[in-house]
Amino acid sequence: MKQDYFSSNNIKFIDYKDIEILKKFLNPNGKIMNHKRTGVTSKNQRALSTAVKRARFLGLLPFVAK
Amino acid sequence: MEENIKNTDSDARVYEVGYLLVPTIPGDEVPAVYGNLKELISSLGGEVIADEMPKQINLAYQMLKVVQNIRNKFDTAYFGWIKFEMNPEKVADLKKKMDLDPKVIRFLTTKTVKENTIATKKFVRADMGKYKHSPKKEGEETPVEINKEEIDKEIDAMVEA
Repeated sequence: MKQDYFSSNNIKFIDYKDIEILKKFLNPNGKIMNHKRTGVTSKNQRALSTAVKRARFLGLLPFVAK
Repeated sequence: MEENIKNTDSDARVYEVGYLLVPTIPGDEVPAVYGNLKELISSLGGEVIADEMPKQINLAYQMLKVVQNIRNKFDTAYFGWIKFEMNPEKVADLKKKMDLDPKVIRFLTTKTVKENTIATKKFVRADMGKYKHSPKKEGEETPVEINKEEIDKEIDAMVEA
């Protein structure tokens, strides 16, 4: 029973520039973790995935980490 | 503030453009390029809310940009962003103009909110707040002790009665 990281830290808008936060939800290959692992609500998981994808487009996060 | 209210009346929305500048620009010319971008936004009727100076970053993967039929590969870039308020119809014009800029490798326009969205700095403040609270608790313990004595006296009085 893990609590939602974003609502417990009072984050209302998940920003693609917050790489340090986004990195917590990536596995060693750079893939976005399953919502069962992250414990994030469905709404925030969707926002998280868009944020990660935006960060990837701008080269802040990798598409694939070796 | 009055200007902001006027803008919201004319359907202005809050947008943010994040961009990557070519690393071949010398360090002292970066502020000029960044100033030009801000001017471009204000020339299209946008009002800058917040921004950050472009900083050199290592890209997570190699990017390509074709300028004058030459493929340029980049491993580093200057990353910056500008948050602004603009009429939705003008955003397409901004995109067209930025597409033509040879100094911009990539850019991304997103809808956002007016408030500061970067949470990392907030955590530092929140942690500091916790440290401030702990000595206060120690200070609160002394009055509690006094209360205990008073309560004891009251209990004694009750027992005697």
